[in-house]
Amino acid sequence: MDFRKLQSANKVKTTELLFGMALLVGVVIWALMTYFGKTGIGVVPFAVGIALLSVWGSYWSSDKIVLTMTGAKIVTEAENKQLYDLVTEICIAAGLPVPKIAIVEDNAPNAFATGRDPNHAVIAFTTGILRVMDREELQGVTAHELAHVANRDTLVSAVAATTAGALALLSDFMLRMMIFGGGNRRDNNNNDQNPLALIASLVILILAPLAALLLRLAISRKREALADVTAVGFTRNPTGLRRALEVLAADSTVVHQKSTAVAHIWIESPLDGSKTSQLFSTHPPLASRIATLRAMEGNL
Amino acid sequence: MKVVLFVVVILVILALLAIMSRNRLVRANISVDEAFAQIDVQLKRRSDLIPNLVETVKGYAAHESGTLEAIVAARAKSTQATTFADVAAADGQLTQALRGLLAVTENYPDLKASSNFLALQEELSSTENKVSFARQFYNDNVRTLNSAIKTFPSSLFVKSAGVSVRPFYEVDDPQDRKAPQVKF
Repeated sequence: MDFRKLQSANKVKTTELLFGMALLVGVVIWALMTYFGKTGIGVVPFAVGIALLSVWGSYWSSDKIVLTMTGAKIVTEAENKQLYDLVTEICIAAGLPVPKIAIVEDNAPNAFATGRDPNHAVIAFTTGILRVMDREELQGVTAHELAHVANRDTLVSAVAATTAGALALLSDFMLRMMIFGGGNRRDNNNNDQNPLALIASLVILILAPLAALLLRLAISRKREALADVTAVGFTRNPTGLRRALEVLAADSTVVHQKSTAVAHIWIESPLDGSKTSQLFSTHPPLASRIATLRAMEGNL
Repeated sequence: MKVVLFVVVILVILALLAIMSRNRLVRANISVDEAFAQIDVQLKRRSDLIPNLVETVKGYAAHESGTLEAIVAARAKSTQATTFADVAAADGQLTQALRGLLAVTENYPDLKASSNFLALQEELSSTENKVSFARQFYNDNVRTLNSAIKTFPSSLFVKSAGVSVRPFYEVDDPQDRKAPQVKF
Protein backbone atom coordinates (compact mmCIF):
# COMPACT_ATOMS: atom_id res chain seq x y z
CA MET A 1 0.00 0.00 0.00
CA ASP A 2 1.06 3.54 -0.77
CA PHE A 3 1.69 5.50 2.44
CA ARG A 4 -0.01 8.62 1.09
CA LYS A 5 -3.27 6.76 0.49
CA LEU A 6 -3.10 5.05 3.88
CA GLN A 7 -2.42 8.40 5.49
CA SER A 8 -5.51 10.05 4.07
CA ALA A 9 -7.63 6.96 4.77
CA ASN A 10 -6.65 7.11 8.44
CA LYS A 11 -7.35 10.83 8.59
CA VAL A 12 -10.82 10.31 7.12
CA LYS A 13 -11.46 7.60 9.74
CA THR A 14 -10.52 9.95 12.60
CA THR A 15 -12.80 12.64 11.22
CA GLU A 16 -15.63 10.12 11.06
CA LEU A 17 -15.03 9.05 14.63
CA LEU A 18 -14.90 12.64 15.88
CA PHE A 19 -18.11 13.24 13.96
CA GLY A 20 -19.57 10.18 15.70
CA MET A 21 -18.66 11.79 19.03
CA ALA A 22 -20.41 15.01 18.05
CA LEU A 23 -23.43 12.97 17.07
CA LEU A 24 -23.37 11.24 20.43
CA VAL A 25 -23.36 14.62 22.17
CA GLY A 26 -26.39 15.57 20.10
CA VAL A 27 -28.21 12.38 21.02
CA VAL A 28 -27.45 12.85 24.72
CA ILE A 29 -28.75 16.42 24.63
CA TRP A 30 -31.92 15.13 22.94
CA ALA A 31 -32.28 12.54 25.71
CA LEU A 32 -31.84 15.28 28.33
CA MET A 33 -34.50 17.42 26.72
CA THR A 34 -36.87 14.49 26.50
CA TYR A 35 -36.40 13.39 30.06
CA PHE A 36 -36.00 16.63 31.96
CA GLY A 37 -37.25 19.29 29.63
CA LYS A 38 -35.49 22.65 29.58
CA THR A 39 -33.93 22.29 33.05
CA GLY A 40 -31.86 19.41 31.66
CA ILE A 41 -30.07 21.74 29.27
CA GLY A 42 -28.90 23.89 32.16
CA VAL A 43 -26.32 21.31 33.23
CA VAL A 44 -24.71 21.03 29.78
CA PRO A 45 -22.45 24.09 30.21
CA PHE A 46 -21.40 22.81 33.63
CA ALA A 47 -20.44 19.38 32.32
CA VAL A 48 -18.59 20.82 29.31
CA GLY A 49 -16.92 23.45 31.51
CA ILE A 50 -15.65 20.95 34.05
CA ALA A 51 -14.43 18.57 31.33
CA LEU A 52 -12.67 21.42 29.50
CA LEU A 53 -11.00 22.64 32.67
CA SER A 54 -9.75 19.21 33.65
CA VAL A 55 -8.44 18.29 30.18
CA TRP A 56 -7.18 21.72 29.10
CA GLY A 57 -4.58 22.01 31.83
CA SER A 58 -3.09 18.63 31.06
CA TYR A 59 -3.15 19.37 27.34
CA TRP A 60 -1.52 22.77 27.70
CA SER A 61 1.36 21.59 29.87
CA SER A 62 1.38 17.97 28.70
CA ASP A 63 5.14 18.06 28.12
CA LYS A 64 5.90 19.07 31.71
CA ILE A 65 3.25 16.86 33.32
CA VAL A 66 4.29 13.72 31.45
CA LEU A 67 7.97 14.33 32.16
CA THR A 68 7.14 14.50 35.87
CA MET A 69 4.78 11.53 35.84
CA THR A 70 7.19 9.23 34.04
CA GLY A 71 10.33 10.57 35.68
CA ALA A 72 11.92 11.26 32.30
CA LYS A 73 15.21 13.19 32.29
CA ILE A 74 15.97 15.68 29.50
CA VAL A 75 19.25 14.93 27.69
CA THR A 76 21.28 17.49 25.77
CA GLU A 77 23.15 17.08 22.49
CA ALA A 78 26.45 16.86 24.36
CA GLU A 79 25.18 14.12 26.67
CA ASN A 80 23.90 11.79 23.98
CA LYS A 81 25.10 12.86 20.55
CA GLN A 82 23.89 9.77 18.70
CA LEU A 83 20.34 9.99 20.04
CA TYR A 84 20.28 13.70 19.31
CA ASP A 85 21.45 13.07 15.74
CA LEU A 86 18.87 10.35 15.25
CA VAL A 87 16.02 12.64 16.33
CA THR A 88 17.38 15.59 14.34
CA GLU A 89 17.50 13.49 11.18
CA ILE A 90 13.81 12.65 11.40
CA CYS A 91 12.97 16.25 12.26
CA ILE A 92 14.61 17.29 9.00
CA ALA A 93 12.58 14.67 7.13
CA ALA A 94 9.40 15.88 8.83
CA GLY A 95 10.15 19.60 8.71
CA LEU A 96 9.69 19.84 12.48
CA PRO A 97 11.73 21.76 15.05
CA VAL A 98 13.94 19.50 17.18
CA PRO A 99 11.93 18.61 20.32
CA LYS A 100 13.20 18.16 23.86
CA ILE A 101 14.69 14.68 24.12
CA ALA A 102 14.31 12.70 27.33
CA ILE A 103 15.28 9.31 28.73
CA VAL A 104 13.20 7.27 31.18
CA GLU A 105 15.07 4.87 33.45
CA ASP A 106 13.12 1.70 32.72
CA ASN A 107 14.18 -1.71 31.46
CA ALA A 108 11.06 -2.20 29.34
CA PRO A 109 11.58 -1.03 25.75
CA ASN A 110 9.15 1.79 25.03
CA ALA A 111 9.00 5.41 23.86
CA PHE A 112 6.55 8.30 23.74
CA ALA A 113 6.07 11.83 22.50
CA THR A 114 3.75 14.56 23.72
CA GLY A 115 3.37 18.34 23.84
CA ARG A 116 0.67 20.75 22.79
CA ASP A 117 2.38 21.74 19.52
CA PRO A 118 5.65 21.01 17.69
CA ASN A 119 7.38 23.86 19.53
CA HIS A 120 6.56 22.35 22.93
CA ALA A 121 7.10 18.73 22.00
CA VAL A 122 9.08 16.22 24.01
CA ILE A 123 10.15 12.78 22.85
CA ALA A 124 11.24 10.19 25.39
CA PHE A 125 12.89 6.79 25.20
CA THR A 126 13.31 4.22 27.95
CA THR A 127 16.83 3.04 28.67
CA GLY A 128 15.51 -0.41 27.71
CA ILE A 129 14.61 0.58 24.15
CA LEU A 130 17.99 2.27 23.61
CA ARG A 131 19.69 -0.94 24.71
CA VAL A 132 17.77 -3.52 22.69
CA MET A 133 17.26 -1.70 19.37
CA ASP A 134 19.72 -0.94 16.60
CA ARG A 135 19.81 2.37 14.80
CA GLU A 136 17.41 1.42 12.02
CA GLU A 137 14.80 0.23 14.53
CA LEU A 138 15.24 3.31 16.72
CA GLN A 139 14.86 5.46 13.64
CA GLY A 140 11.48 3.82 13.01
CA VAL A 141 10.40 4.37 16.61
CA THR A 142 11.54 8.01 16.51
CA ALA A 143 9.64 8.55 13.27
CA HIS A 144 6.48 7.06 14.82
CA GLU A 145 6.75 9.37 17.82
CA LEU A 146 7.49 12.46 15.76
CA ALA A 147 4.54 11.49 13.54
CA HIS A 148 2.33 11.96 16.62
CA VAL A 149 3.83 15.43 17.00
CA ALA A 150 3.34 16.26 13.32
CA ASN A 151 -0.25 14.95 13.35
CA ARG A 152 -1.10 16.95 16.51
CA ASP A 153 -2.25 13.86 18.31
CA THR A 154 -2.05 15.50 21.73
CA LEU A 155 -4.74 17.89 20.53
CA VAL A 156 -6.85 15.13 18.96
CA SER A 157 -6.77 13.06 22.12
CA ALA A 158 -7.50 16.15 24.25
CA VAL A 159 -10.60 16.82 22.17
CA ALA A 160 -11.69 13.19 22.46
CA ALA A 161 -11.01 13.17 26.21
CA THR A 162 -12.96 16.39 26.73
CA THR A 163 -15.99 15.09 24.86
CA ALA A 164 -15.92 11.72 26.59
CA GLY A 165 -15.43 13.45 29.94
CA ALA A 166 -18.32 15.84 29.38
CA LEU A 167 -20.60 12.97 28.38
CA ALA A 168 -19.64 10.95 31.45
CA LEU A 169 -20.37 13.95 33.69
CA LEU A 170 -23.69 14.66 31.98
CA SER A 171 -24.83 11.11 32.37
CA ASP A 172 -23.74 11.12 36.00
CA PHE A 173 -25.61 14.38 36.76
CA MET A 174 -28.71 13.08 35.07
CA LEU A 175 -28.78 9.77 36.83
CA ARG A 176 -28.39 11.56 40.16
CA MET A 177 -31.19 13.96 39.29
CA MET A 178 -33.41 11.01 38.45
CA ILE A 179 -32.69 9.26 41.70
CA PHE A 180 -32.86 12.25 44.02
CA GLY A 181 -35.29 14.63 42.45
CA GLY A 182 -36.45 13.35 39.13
CA GLY A 183 -40.12 13.32 40.08
CA ASN A 184 -40.49 17.08 40.48
CA ARG A 185 -38.45 18.00 37.44
CA ARG A 186 -40.39 15.81 35.16
CA ASP A 187 -43.47 17.93 35.74
CA ASN A 188 -42.00 20.69 33.60
CA ASN A 189 -43.21 19.85 30.18
CA ASN A 190 -43.02 16.19 29.48
CA ASN A 191 -46.14 14.77 31.02
CA ASP A 192 -47.43 14.34 27.52
CA GLN A 193 -44.20 12.60 26.41
CA ASN A 194 -44.29 9.27 24.71
CA PRO A 195 -43.19 6.68 27.31
CA LEU A 196 -41.04 4.96 24.68
CA ALA A 197 -39.08 8.16 24.18
CA LEU A 198 -38.58 8.40 27.93
CA ILE A 199 -37.25 4.86 28.12
CA ALA A 200 -35.02 5.44 25.09
CA SER A 201 -33.58 8.60 26.62
CA LEU A 202 -32.92 6.80 29.89
CA VAL A 203 -31.07 4.03 28.07
CA ILE A 204 -29.08 6.64 26.11
CA LEU A 205 -28.08 8.46 29.29
CA ILE A 206 -26.90 5.22 30.87
CA LEU A 207 -24.98 3.96 27.84
CA ALA A 208 -23.52 7.27 26.59
CA PRO A 209 -20.36 7.23 28.75
CA LEU A 210 -19.51 3.72 27.57
CA ALA A 211 -20.11 4.66 23.94
CA ALA A 212 -17.96 7.77 24.39
CA LEU A 213 -15.18 5.71 25.92
CA LEU A 214 -15.27 3.23 23.05
CA LEU A 215 -15.18 6.04 20.49
CA ARG A 216 -12.29 7.67 22.32
CA LEU A 217 -10.32 4.41 22.28
CA ALA A 218 -11.15 3.86 18.61
CA ILE A 219 -9.76 7.34 17.87
CA SER A 220 -6.61 6.51 19.82
CA ARG A 221 -6.13 3.30 17.79
CA LYS A 222 -6.64 5.15 14.51
CA ARG A 223 -4.07 7.77 15.48
CA GLU A 224 -1.58 5.00 16.28
CA ALA A 225 -2.17 3.43 12.87
CA LEU A 226 -1.82 6.86 11.26
CA ALA A 227 1.43 7.51 13.13
CA ASP A 228 2.88 4.25 11.77
CA VAL A 229 2.02 5.30 8.21
CA THR A 230 3.23 8.88 8.67
CA ALA A 231 6.47 7.49 10.10
CA VAL A 232 7.03 5.56 6.89
CA GLY A 233 6.42 8.82 5.02
CA PHE A 234 9.32 10.34 6.99
CA THR A 235 11.84 7.51 6.74
CA ARG A 236 10.62 5.82 3.52
CA ASN A 237 11.71 2.69 5.32
CA PRO A 238 8.87 0.51 6.68
CA THR A 239 11.39 -2.18 7.60
CA GLY A 240 12.91 -0.24 10.51
CA LEU A 241 9.61 0.35 12.29
CA ARG A 242 8.37 -3.14 11.45
CA ARG A 243 11.48 -4.69 13.01
CA ALA A 244 11.13 -2.39 16.01
CA LEU A 245 7.55 -3.53 16.56
CA GLU A 246 8.68 -7.14 16.26
CA VAL A 247 11.24 -6.50 18.98
CA LEU A 248 8.45 -5.05 21.13
CA ALA A 249 6.20 -8.02 20.36
CA ALA A 250 8.89 -10.47 21.39
CA ASP A 251 9.64 -8.58 24.56
CA SER A 252 7.65 -9.48 27.64
CA THR A 253 8.84 -6.81 30.06
CA VAL A 254 6.35 -4.06 30.57
CA VAL A 255 6.88 -0.46 31.61
CA HIS A 256 6.64 -0.20 35.39
CA GLN A 257 4.14 2.59 35.30
CA LYS A 258 0.98 0.72 34.52
CA SER A 259 -1.03 3.87 35.02
CA THR A 260 -3.91 4.05 32.59
CA ALA A 261 -3.62 7.84 32.71
CA VAL A 262 -0.58 7.86 30.45
CA ALA A 263 -1.08 4.49 28.71
CA HIS A 264 -2.05 6.03 25.38
CA ILE A 265 1.16 7.98 24.88
CA TRP A 266 3.59 5.04 24.69
CA ILE A 267 4.45 3.44 21.35
CA GLU A 268 3.45 0.04 22.69
CA SER A 269 0.60 -0.19 25.16
CA PRO A 270 2.18 -0.64 28.62
CA LEU A 271 -0.97 -2.41 29.84
CA ASP A 272 -1.09 -6.11 29.25
CA GLY A 273 -2.75 -6.45 25.87
CA SER A 274 -3.80 -10.07 26.12
CA LYS A 275 -6.13 -9.46 29.03
CA THR A 276 -8.00 -6.49 27.68
CA SER A 277 -10.19 -6.98 24.67
CA GLN A 278 -9.36 -5.23 21.42
CA LEU A 279 -12.29 -2.81 21.87
CA PHE A 280 -10.87 -1.45 25.11
CA SER A 281 -7.32 -1.02 23.88
CA THR A 282 -5.59 2.30 23.19
CA HIS A 283 -3.38 0.71 20.50
CA PRO A 284 -4.11 -1.59 17.56
CA PRO A 285 -2.65 -5.09 18.10
CA LEU A 286 1.07 -5.23 17.27
CA ALA A 287 0.45 -8.08 14.84
CA SER A 288 -1.82 -5.99 12.67
CA ARG A 289 0.53 -3.00 12.77
CA ILE A 290 3.40 -5.27 11.70
CA ALA A 291 1.27 -6.71 8.88
CA THR A 292 0.43 -3.21 7.57
CA LEU A 293 4.09 -2.21 7.58
CA ARG A 294 5.08 -5.44 5.87
CA ALA A 295 2.54 -4.70 3.13
CA MET A 296 4.20 -1.31 2.61
CA GLU A 297 7.67 -2.82 2.24
CA GLY A 298 8.88 -2.91 -1.34
CA ASN A 299 5.91 -0.77 -2.30
CA LEU A 300 7.16 2.77 -1.94
CA MET B 1 -33.67 42.33 -0.62
CA LYS B 2 -33.29 38.63 0.00
CA VAL B 3 -31.78 38.09 -3.43
CA VAL B 4 -29.19 40.81 -2.83
CA LEU B 5 -28.22 39.24 0.48
CA PHE B 6 -27.95 35.83 -1.16
CA VAL B 7 -25.68 37.20 -3.91
CA VAL B 8 -23.51 38.99 -1.35
CA VAL B 9 -23.09 35.81 0.70
CA ILE B 10 -22.14 33.81 -2.37
CA LEU B 11 -19.62 36.48 -3.42
CA VAL B 12 -18.05 36.54 0.04
CA ILE B 13 -17.70 32.75 0.02
CA LEU B 14 -16.13 32.84 -3.44
CA ALA B 15 -13.72 35.58 -2.38
CA LEU B 16 -12.68 33.58 0.68
CA LEU B 17 -12.12 30.48 -1.45
CA ALA B 18 -10.00 32.51 -3.86
CA ILE B 19 -7.89 33.95 -1.05
CA MET B 20 -7.40 30.50 0.46
CA SER B 21 -6.37 28.95 -2.85
CA ARG B 22 -3.92 31.74 -3.55
CA ASN B 23 -2.49 31.54 -0.04
CA ARG B 24 -2.08 27.81 -0.44
CA LEU B 25 0.15 28.42 -3.47
CA VAL B 26 2.17 31.15 -1.79
CA ARG B 27 2.68 29.03 1.31
CA ALA B 28 3.68 25.96 -0.70
CA ASN B 29 6.19 28.10 -2.58
CA ILE B 30 7.71 29.43 0.65
CA SER B 31 7.95 25.87 2.01
CA VAL B 32 9.92 24.83 -1.07
CA ASP B 33 12.36 27.72 -0.52
CA GLU B 34 12.75 26.84 3.15
CA ALA B 35 13.29 23.19 2.32
CA PHE B 36 16.00 24.15 -0.16
CA ALA B 37 17.66 26.30 2.50
CA GLN B 38 17.69 23.21 4.74
CA ILE B 39 19.51 21.22 2.01
CA ASP B 40 22.02 24.05 1.81
CA VAL B 41 22.58 24.04 5.58
CA GLN B 42 23.20 20.31 5.61
CA LEU B 43 25.51 20.43 2.57
CA LYS B 44 27.52 23.16 4.30
CA ARG B 45 27.79 21.04 7.45
CA ARG B 46 29.05 18.15 5.37
CA SER B 47 31.58 20.39 3.60
CA ASP B 48 32.89 21.57 6.95
CA LEU B 49 33.56 18.01 8.06
CA ILE B 50 35.69 17.13 5.08
CA PRO B 51 39.06 18.85 5.83
CA ASN B 52 39.20 17.11 9.20
CA LEU B 53 38.22 13.79 7.61
CA VAL B 54 40.85 14.08 4.90
CA GLU B 55 43.55 14.91 7.46
CA THR B 56 42.62 11.96 9.65
CA VAL B 57 42.48 9.45 6.82
CA LYS B 58 45.75 10.71 5.28
CA GLY B 59 47.68 9.75 8.40
CA TYR B 60 46.62 6.12 8.18
CA ALA B 61 45.92 5.49 4.53
CA ALA B 62 48.46 7.32 2.42
CA HIS B 63 47.78 4.98 -0.50
CA GLU B 64 44.30 6.33 -0.93
CA SER B 65 45.44 9.73 -2.17
CA GLY B 66 43.32 9.24 -5.30
CA THR B 67 40.14 8.80 -3.31
CA LEU B 68 41.01 11.74 -1.09
CA GLU B 69 41.76 13.99 -4.05
CA ALA B 70 38.39 13.09 -5.57
CA ILE B 71 36.73 14.20 -2.34
CA VAL B 72 38.63 17.47 -2.14
CA ALA B 73 37.80 18.21 -5.78
CA ALA B 74 34.11 17.39 -5.31
CA ARG B 75 33.99 19.56 -2.19
CA ALA B 76 35.58 22.49 -4.04
CA LYS B 77 33.00 22.13 -6.78
CA SER B 78 30.13 22.01 -4.33
CA THR B 79 31.24 25.15 -2.48
CA GLN B 80 31.39 27.03 -5.79
CA ALA B 81 28.05 25.78 -7.08
CA THR B 82 25.42 28.49 -7.23
CA THR B 83 22.67 27.35 -9.59
CA PHE B 84 20.14 24.76 -8.55
CA ALA B 85 21.38 22.19 -11.08
CA ASP B 86 25.05 22.72 -10.13
CA VAL B 87 24.33 22.30 -6.43
CA ALA B 88 22.54 19.02 -7.08
CA ALA B 89 25.25 17.73 -9.42
CA ALA B 90 28.09 18.62 -7.03
CA ASP B 91 26.13 17.12 -4.14
CA GLY B 92 25.82 13.85 -6.07
CA GLN B 93 29.55 13.73 -6.82
CA LEU B 94 30.56 14.42 -3.25
CA THR B 95 28.09 11.84 -1.95
CA GLN B 96 29.61 9.18 -4.17
CA ALA B 97 33.19 10.18 -3.40
CA LEU B 98 32.52 10.00 0.35
CA ARG B 99 30.88 6.62 0.01
CA GLY B 100 33.95 5.44 -1.91
CA LEU B 101 36.19 6.61 0.92
CA LEU B 102 34.14 4.94 3.63
CA ALA B 103 34.31 1.72 1.61
CA VAL B 104 38.13 1.71 1.34
CA THR B 105 38.60 2.54 5.02
CA GLU B 106 37.46 -1.03 5.64
CA ASN B 107 41.00 -2.07 4.59
CA TYR B 108 42.71 -0.02 7.30
CA PRO B 109 42.19 -1.54 10.74
CA ASP B 110 44.35 1.09 12.44
CA LEU B 111 42.26 3.86 10.98
CA LYS B 112 39.02 2.15 11.94
CA ALA B 113 40.30 1.75 15.47
CA SER B 114 41.22 5.42 15.85
CA SER B 115 38.79 7.20 18.12
CA ASN B 116 39.05 10.37 16.07
CA PHE B 117 37.92 8.48 12.99
CA LEU B 118 35.09 6.74 14.80
CA ALA B 119 33.68 10.06 15.96
CA LEU B 120 34.07 11.44 12.43
CA GLN B 121 32.38 8.41 10.95
CA GLU B 122 29.33 8.81 13.19
CA GLU B 123 29.21 12.52 12.39
CA LEU B 124 29.57 11.86 8.69
CA SER B 125 26.95 9.15 8.43
CA SER B 126 24.48 11.21 10.44
CA THR B 127 25.17 14.18 8.19
CA GLU B 128 24.71 11.95 5.16
CA ASN B 129 21.28 10.96 6.57
CA LYS B 130 20.44 14.61 7.21
CA VAL B 131 21.39 15.59 3.66
CA SER B 132 19.30 12.78 2.28
CA PHE B 133 16.26 13.60 4.44
CA ALA B 134 16.59 17.29 3.54
CA ARG B 135 16.45 16.32 -0.15
CA GLN B 136 13.42 14.13 0.49
CA PHE B 137 11.66 16.92 2.41
CA TYR B 138 12.42 19.35 -0.40
CA ASN B 139 11.00 16.97 -2.98
CA ASP B 140 7.87 16.37 -0.87
CA ASN B 141 7.32 20.13 -0.79
CA VAL B 142 7.93 20.46 -4.53
CA ARG B 143 5.38 17.73 -5.03
CA THR B 144 2.81 19.61 -2.93
CA LEU B 145 3.49 22.88 -4.77
CA ASN B 146 3.40 21.32 -8.22
CA SER B 147 0.16 19.50 -7.58
CA ALA B 148 -1.40 22.72 -6.20
CA ILE B 149 -0.31 24.49 -9.38
CA LYS B 150 -1.91 21.86 -11.55
CA THR B 151 -5.17 21.28 -9.67
CA PHE B 152 -8.34 23.34 -9.58
CA PRO B 153 -9.12 25.83 -8.02
CA SER B 154 -5.60 26.86 -6.99
CA SER B 155 -4.52 26.48 -10.62
CA LEU B 156 -6.47 29.69 -11.36
CA PHE B 157 -4.18 31.79 -9.17
CA VAL B 158 -0.78 30.62 -10.38
CA LYS B 159 -0.07 33.93 -12.17
CA SER B 160 -1.29 36.20 -9.40
CA ALA B 161 0.65 34.29 -6.72
CA GLY B 162 3.75 34.48 -8.90
CA VAL B 163 4.66 30.80 -8.51
CA SER B 164 5.76 28.27 -11.07
CA VAL B 165 6.39 24.52 -11.25
CA ARG B 166 9.67 23.75 -9.49
CA PRO B 167 12.12 20.99 -10.42
CA PHE B 168 12.75 18.01 -8.14
CA TYR B 169 16.17 17.84 -6.50
CA GLU B 170 17.65 14.79 -8.06
CA VAL B 171 21.04 13.44 -7.22
CA ASP B 172 22.72 11.00 -9.52
CA ASP B 173 22.92 8.29 -6.92
CA PRO B 174 21.25 4.89 -7.08
CA GLN B 175 21.54 4.40 -3.31
CA ASP B 176 20.04 7.75 -2.42
CA ARG B 177 16.93 6.41 -0.75
CA LYS B 178 18.86 4.09 1.49
CA ALA B 179 20.36 5.89 4.43
CA PRO B 180 23.67 4.34 5.48
CA GLN B 181 23.20 1.88 8.28
CA VAL B 182 25.17 2.47 11.42
CA LYS B 183 24.70 0.24 14.43
CA PHE B 184 24.94 1.57 17.94
